[in-house]
Amino acid sequence: MATVVGGGNGEGRRAVQVPPGPLARPSQRPVTGPELTSPPLVVRRREEEETVVTFPHLVWKEFLAGLAAFVFFMAVSIQINAPLLQRANTAITPNPAKAPWYFVGLQELLERFPPVMAGVAFPTFVIVFMILTPYLDRNPSRRPQDRKVAITLFTIYACLAVAFVVIGVFFRSLAFNWDWTMILGHPGLSSPV
Amino acid sequence: MSATPREASPIRAFVAQIWGSIFRHGLPTTDKVAARTALTNFFLHIHPVRVKKSAIRVSYTLCLGGLSFFLFILLTITGLFLMFYYIPSIDQAYQNIKDLQFVATFGLVIRNMHRWAAHGMVITVWLHMARVFYQGAYKPPREFNWAIGTLLLLTTLLLSFSGYLLPWDQLAVWAITVGTNMAKYAPLVGPYTRYLLLGGRTVAQGALIRFYVLHVIALPLIGFLLMVVHFWRVRKDGFTGGL
Repeated sequence: MATVVGGGNGEGRRAVQVPPGPLARPSQRPVTGPELTSPPLVVRRREEEETVVTFPHLVWKEFLAGLAAFVFFMAVSIQINAPLLQRANTAITPNPAKAPWYFVGLQELLERFPPVMAGVAFPTFVIVFMILTPYLDRNPSRRPQDRKVAITLFTIYACLAVAFVVIGVFFRSLAFNWDWTMILGHPGLSSPV
Repeated sequence: MSATPREASPIRAFVAQIWGSIFRHGLPTTDKVAARTALTNFFLHIHPVRVKKSAIRVSYTLCLGGLSFFLFILLTITGLFLMFYYIPSIDQAYQNIKDLQFVATFGLVIRNMHRWAAHGMVITVWLHMARVFYQGAYKPPREFNWAIGTLLLLTTLLLSFSGYLLPWDQLAVWAITVGTNMAKYAPLVGPYTRYLLLGGRTVAQGALIRFYVLHVIALPLIGFLLMVVHFWRVRKDGFTGGL
């Protein structure tokens, strides 16, 4: 939906469609004079300007989203039990001993880099860089086509983060060594895990 | 609830008085009354009265921020139920979890929900961050709210991590052992950080009570405060919407 602002073609006709809602700005040009025969000056998407009352429009959406989430988690919780292994025993180290999945990426880094780098330098760098992102990114545009560098960098970071977690969870077994068999199954066994 | 004189009766008037004392308006049938509803209701006041239509499109927000908050509430409520049964002692904790699974009514489903919602929240908070990045919604004037959001992501991870130890099973203790071993590598402060976190040199009773207090009091309070500021600033800095 496009709203033509500032264009027009003569008196006697309403050439300007005022966008609906209270945000219709008084800054639009008055519709007088010969310049009105010129083509539209600004074309705005009506949806950008249009406002709605948050109650009930937004609250209703939130309610539905919350309800859907609740039903989803209830269904999952009825079907799948949270893991609970043997009582903790400091004398028996499981093999492999893995961090929770969201830190398994860090554990993966520890396998590949010196501990000070993987355990301290990388995470600190990521956190500090993330907090500083809005101050470092001087590009004022929000349009994806103007932000190729930012989007590329973030996508690389996101892919690496996800890849390390996936590797740690699905491809690391005994002694945290690489192991295809968790996904592909063992050649000697009939069914993959 | 405006009773016309014809139907006015003592009971109707009484009901109208009760309604009027709670809600300062009638049913929100028009935009004007709906606006007044949002303005005068404490819980709805978290929202502005009006908002750009494009800012609340589901295809734009993907509901991720709202879902993260919803999961936080869900985790608070299920966590509260779990606290009735759970004793943070290495002699009793594991048995408490077993009792939750096999003895307490609905204990199993409540514990499952707490676990899965916690994983879910890590995912939704992370995706919310990615969504905000891809839409460039962190740009001025929202730089600082992005920083608060980063701290909220960290709080979420720490909440999940601290909760991981509480069942006191093999998974818990060894995951925390691996996790806290990473802290050891920090130059100079590393070993001290780990000692401070565990209240000792190994994952034992000292670690359990520290993680418990962090998990049920300290981190939720920090998270709640950060959330209050985060939501406040979402309103004050304005909504983006419509690329």
